[in-house]
Amino acid sequence: MTEAVKSLRQTPLPQDPRETGQQLRPGLWETVNQRYPGSMITKADYVPLARLAKPLSQARVTLISSCGVHAKTDPPMDVCHPFGDFTFRRVPSAARHADLIIHQLKYPHDDADEDINVIFPIERLQELATEGTIGGLTRNFFSFIGYNMDSARFERTVAADIARAVSEEEHADVALLAPA
Amino acid sequence: MSVPFLKEAVEAGAPDQLLRFVRLHLGDGNEETGRREIDKSWVEAVKILLQYQPVNEEFIRQVMQQDDSTLALLYFHLHFHLIRKSGEWIHDGSR
Repeated sequence: MTEAVKSLRQTPLPQDPRETGQQLRPGLWETVNQRYPGSMITKADYVPLARLAKPLSQARVTLISSCGVHAKTDPPMDVCHPFGDFTFRRVPSAARHADLIIHQLKYPHDDADEDINVIFPIERLQELATEGTIGGLTRNFFSFIGYNMDSARFERTVAADIARAVSEEEHADVALLAPA
Repeated sequence: MSVPFLKEAVEAGAPDQLLRFVRLHLGDGNEETGRREIDKSWVEAVKILLQYQPVNEEFIRQVMQQDDSTLALLYFHLHFHLIRKSGEWIHDGSR
């Protein structure tokens, strides 16, 4: 077990504001709403976090990210579409940084190009699986482009398809969500 | 701006809202920058044509027979293609 993981385990977790229904950064949301009227998702309800059904050391972990990373052998996502790309990519969890590439328009990824793990911690998860901190990894991880102007269509397509793949194809016990 | 917002703008006959959306998209969230980016892509297109290189008219004819959705999306792709050709890339992401 790494020192970082030991330290994290010894630190008491703060109360998750999502469990009380509070917005994490309400000021930011107002700013974005001014720049992109009507673009933000607002929901009165929220989905509570599920309880882990087995020890983390026995759990199969998947990674889902909006960073737009994909295998170099896969076609790039459409960064030009004004409403966003409604597809996702499966990223083999055994992939290395050299196998992957990011196509994005809306955020700087120079640092991620140097080390993909700063935004898509695939090699860190491989290490945690190897040392037994987590039970293992799903065969594939998942990636899509975060820029999207049609949240309802996104929910019907990308979100639903990834959720189905995570549960029915990959049989993940834990999903790590990494925004970009 | 969300797609429902844009559809409402179309129904309300408010093209200025659609233009603002396009400028925000092409200007990386800055409307004035987006206006300049649109101008920049047209300037780049004219600069290229001023070189009088051979063009593939048959290819253009075939492309123009595609459906409107494909052509509309192609319009956005061409914008970013010309912006890349200009050498002045203002976006945070992929160059």
